[in-house]
Amino acid sequence: MLGLFKGLGVTLKTMTKKKVTYKYPNEPFKMPERFRGIQYFDPELCIVCNQCVRVCPTDCITLTGRSHPDPSKRGKIIDTYDINFETCILCDLCTEVCPTEAILMTQNFELAAYSRDELYKDLKWLHENDTNIRGGS
Amino acid sequence: MNLDLEGITLQEQKELERNVLTTTVEQVKAWARSNSVWPLTFGLACCAIEMMGAAAPHYDLDRFGTILRASPRHADLIIVAGTVTKKMAPHLRRLYDQMPEPKWVISMGSCATAGGPYVKSYSVVKGVDQIVPVDVYIPGCPPNPAALIYGINKLREKIRYEARTGKKVMNL
Repeated sequence: MLGLFKGLGVTLKTMTKKKVTYKYPNEPFKMPERFRGIQYFDPELCIVCNQCVRVCPTDCITLTGRSHPDPSKRGKIIDTYDINFETCILCDLCTEVCPTEAILMTQNFELAAYSRDELYKDLKWLHENDTNIRGGS
Repeated sequence: MNLDLEGITLQEQKELERNVLTTTVEQVKAWARSNSVWPLTFGLACCAIEMMGAAAPHYDLDRFGTILRASPRHADLIIVAGTVTKKMAPHLRRLYDQMPEPKWVISMGSCATAGGPYVKSYSVVKGVDQIVPVDVYIPGCPPNPAALIYGINKLREKIRYEARTGKKVMNL
């Protein structure tokens, strides 16, 4: 009998407290500052150094580049940049290794898809994914 | 089944539209099913922690009628959360076969979707879609509970869409 009132006491005490549940689908969810979501890519900054491809632990990044169309300039420009997001483990190594910060992490996490093909992200998609970019590393 | 609506006046027709809800049995079934998707937990790795977190008070999956079950006989959705090894694969198939129809599958995390960090391993299944038909893929390593909630809501949308249009969705 005492246990019943103890339980009711907890119920009554908790009833007046502020609710802890996030209202996620109704209100947008604010991620912690250092949360890592899908990458953002800036083709203007990329120098095709291939370091992100080499450092990627799951080999999910592929890129191709070509030499600069203006022959007086040195260096290369990016042609294609694909991230196979099926296997990306969001380890942040591509961001850490990038010398020009062409690839950055964002905080976007709403990525569920009906087919695996949708998870193959190309340069255009990654460049348009320019919201909630994580500041610095 | 045809209703004889020839003889009614415009006013009566408007009254009917306001007061009578018309739908199909399929849509009612989909409405009921999408509001009580009971998932079978199939936690295999760190994704299982996030799945448990999604069911806990802060994210509270029960808000969507999604109550985690520990028996395949109660469930109509299986959340494959984590690395499926080749040794575990027959058991996953068996649990899937034990679930009553209709049933859906969510592949949660990189490991279940495509092998993830173990993509070059000899012992890991490279995607559970080789064993069971997957409806929604949730990438991430592991996906945040909010991402899981997004995936479950996407599945509910799919259930309703399929009942409404009578066709399978690949891309919405």
